[in-house]
Amino acid sequence: MAFAGPVLLKRIPDDPAKRKLINMDQYIATGGYESLRKAQSMTPDQIIQLVIDSNLRGRGGAGFPCGSKWKFLPKDIHPRYLAVNFDESEPGTFKDRYLTDYDPHILLEGIAIAAYANRISVSYIYIRGEYHLEAKILEKALEEAYAKGFFGQKIPGTDIVHNCYVHRGAGAYICGEETGLLESLEGKRGWPRIKPPFPAIAGAFAKPTIINNVETLACLPYIIEYGADWFKSMGTPSSTGPKLFGVSGLVHKPGVYEEELGIKMSTLIEKYAGGVKGGKYRAAIPGGVSMGVLGTDQYDAELDFDIGKKYNVLGLGTAGVIVMTDKTDLVVMLRNIIRFFAHESCGQCTPCREGTAWMHKMLNRIVAGYGKPRDFDMLMEVGLSMGSMPGTTICGLADGANWAVRTFLQKFPEDFKARIKSDHVQGVTLDAQAAAAV
Amino acid sequence: MPTMDVDGKKIAWEGKKMILQACLDAGTEIPHYCYHQGLSIVASCRICLVEIESPDPKDPAKLVKVPKLVPSCQTPAVDGMKVHSASPKALANQKAVMEFLLLNHPLDCPVCDQAGECGLQDYSYQYGRSESRFEEDKAKKPKKDIGKHVMLYSDRCIMCTRCVRFTREISGTGELAVFGRGHREEIDVFQGQSLDNPLSGNVIDICPVGALLDKDFLFTQRVWFLKKTPSISPFSSGGENISIEHNQGRVYRIKPRFNADVNKWWISDDIRYGWDFVHTNRLQTPAAKGVPQELSASQSIGQLDQAMKKAAMTPGATLLVLNAGDSTEEMFLAAQWIRRLDPQAWLTLAEPKVDGQDQVFKNPTTGAVTYTLRAEKAPNRRGAQKVLAQLGGNVCKLADVQDKIKVGQIKAALVLADPFGHADASSQTALAGVETLVVLSTRPDGLVSQASLALPVCTWAEKSGVFENHSGLIQAFRQAIAPLENTRSAGSIFWDLMDLAGTYDPAAVRRMMSELGLAEYAAVTLPEQHEKIELMQFTDL
Repeated sequence: MAFAGPVLLKRIPDDPAKRKLINMDQYIATGGYESLRKAQSMTPDQIIQLVIDSNLRGRGGAGFPCGSKWKFLPKDIHPRYLAVNFDESEPGTFKDRYLTDYDPHILLEGIAIAAYANRISVSYIYIRGEYHLEAKILEKALEEAYAKGFFGQKIPGTDIVHNCYVHRGAGAYICGEETGLLESLEGKRGWPRIKPPFPAIAGAFAKPTIINNVETLACLPYIIEYGADWFKSMGTPSSTGPKLFGVSGLVHKPGVYEEELGIKMSTLIEKYAGGVKGGKYRAAIPGGVSMGVLGTDQYDAELDFDIGKKYNVLGLGTAGVIVMTDKTDLVVMLRNIIRFFAHESCGQCTPCREGTAWMHKMLNRIVAGYGKPRDFDMLMEVGLSMGSMPGTTICGLADGANWAVRTFLQKFPEDFKARIKSDHVQGVTLDAQAAAAV
Repeated sequence: MPTMDVDGKKIAWEGKKMILQACLDAGTEIPHYCYHQGLSIVASCRICLVEIESPDPKDPAKLVKVPKLVPSCQTPAVDGMKVHSASPKALANQKAVMEFLLLNHPLDCPVCDQAGECGLQDYSYQYGRSESRFEEDKAKKPKKDIGKHVMLYSDRCIMCTRCVRFTREISGTGELAVFGRGHREEIDVFQGQSLDNPLSGNVIDICPVGALLDKDFLFTQRVWFLKKTPSISPFSSGGENISIEHNQGRVYRIKPRFNADVNKWWISDDIRYGWDFVHTNRLQTPAAKGVPQELSASQSIGQLDQAMKKAAMTPGATLLVLNAGDSTEEMFLAAQWIRRLDPQAWLTLAEPKVDGQDQVFKNPTTGAVTYTLRAEKAPNRRGAQKVLAQLGGNVCKLADVQDKIKVGQIKAALVLADPFGHADASSQTALAGVETLVVLSTRPDGLVSQASLALPVCTWAEKSGVFENHSGLIQAFRQAIAPLENTRSAGSIFWDLMDLAGTYDPAAVRRMMSELGLAEYAAVTLPEQHEKIELMQFTDL
């Protein structure tokens, strides 16, 4: 394990006052697009092998090995598409936005490399609807890259002209689910698709499609430049490389920090985020609210892709850490999380559509002081029948909601039981009534 | 044939099929809402989830248990597979889904038209739980008037999206869409538009709950009082299979009946809402020049007999005008009778109305033809033409009749009138000036006013017979309701005139027809009268 300093963020200064958008000239002056040239001197198979060797795992949440994903593409079916998943909507996640705000070209270079390696005809950057500024930045950067001939040209050695477009979403969390993204890209309602067929076989417009996260693609230039062994020198054997961690919640210095995978959450909070603010650490979301919650005794959890089994959470997710202290009302916190899922459920599958809304109403009632003893078990049961029983829904949104409910209830049962008991019956405060009305 | 084991029952199928479809075809039910054989598969209701054990591709003798529940509607059936639709996991899921679906359902069955044929009622008895644990406020969604024939009760909707898929894939019109997201989402039409296409009524049939209801049928009858009689559409040449739903001698609605070769699951709105003529504007007494006559049934037949016999003294002076709206048996009997009076009697057919071109509906994505709306607005032109061709002799066109009347050749005409009145105008022109005009009609207008004798007959719903559709498919329909007072079928009139024993029997007429060369008519059988009613299986609540 050796993490010498920022990799993806090396062009972005720590000091907020000094940060500014890096344009094409500055990017090239600092060695930009060199990796693309180097990649083009390699064969596509060599690049794919290099990515497999580096054990680069998807940074978007699932941690699926990027090289294997590329390998699924059927030979000789063209056109093929690359969809860049920039629908960064998981609460607590803002790493891709931070990267693009200042250094958009690193993403574009990654796209160009992936397009070369996979013989892609069109790349779509599917960007979250609320990211107005980032969409503009990318448009501008794309213009520069087109002018330099990095896009819109034949991929060397083929007749395939590679184009890249920015496609703006319309503000739905579910369009970050890869098949929901494809539906939305095609101009349809963003309802996740039934798999199989997987996108690599029949994705956008029923053609083979790769879907990669922004950060995953941003890693490519460095893997090409420094090689697989350098990449593997960071992180743990199964989770290699540097990772952007977004820290928010009750810390002194919330923000995006780069570290190698497998660092302890305590290190991240204390060394980078300036420590816990206004209280003692009590709980934290490891990577976006759908991953569940880490308990009080899990402060030192190693943040890598294997976190799930070790600490009873769903996974590392997007590595957007939300820190909560002993002053945080965890019942309200869970209510807010479930409100998000109820609001963002696409409404396709019955269990998720009805279950999230039901849990939201139940939690509202508990927050308002009308909780009943049986609600605790009911919440758990509804969560389980919605998501935890595998296969109950088409995509993972219900599962995410279930993990949030389940881990909060399992790790902090006393908060919920106390709330149900203390304010039981008519002892409702004005605050609670206001909360219920939200 | 490949077979699989579903809850211990062997199920065989042919070709490529999904588990659910193979089970349904074999008569085994797995609960389902969003799945419909005629529509694309979305697998979104999640009640059809089952556990499966699939043969290992490397070692087919070994079964591998799939850890997830899989939707049986979109998982292909594999030879040797084991399916558990009643395992603890599958049952728990069915219970959970039923509970979820009923959370915001208003449970207003007492005032809901769908009660009695509702997917939610049936499945909550079979798979649900007896009490609701939901104590929050239900979401309240509005009632919407979305089209000419259709009401949408959003609060009862379970978002199976069958109707949305229908308008996109079958009618190709795409009026309906899902609006909103999550538990707030609703089916709706786009602003300023309405569900208005010639197939719109089908969305009511495919709605598994009481969300899409028929305005025409709204609050008129509880469905459990309705009797269903299998029939064939009398409105066009398609030969669409329908079922007449009636109670106490009154038709309340018409529903499609599945026929893979003809109309599949669908019928057009013309057929669905065209039955008004059965109960309104009916000729109920014999009439002369439009004036009602007090004649008994036998007296009126006697008059008909006399009038035609008198003219038949001169060979070639009588004319029979057939109508493509009557059953082949009736036309055959009428023609037989008049030819018995006079072997040189003229036969003709009033050409049915053709309304433009056939309208073909296609799936916009695949281009497959989903439904054809026939332009010819009569069910049995081919049957009539067969009768004419079989009997031969003096057969002419209706347009030539006027000349024959003018030169005094045709003196008496017997007309089977069009139940819809479409052919009235051309018949009136063709028959102007004929000495004796006898009309068998369901309607009091049209030719009746100029007829020297008009006898009331009954409509297709009140008799049985066969129609031959545009492609030569011969299909029988059953009598649904008793004939209106004082009316009888044209078939029974000619049966009596022919002095045949007993009462009018279309099957006997078909045998006569096959003896005279129309062999294909002997093989026709009546459709099954009764729907299979399966015993409900209740689970422990």
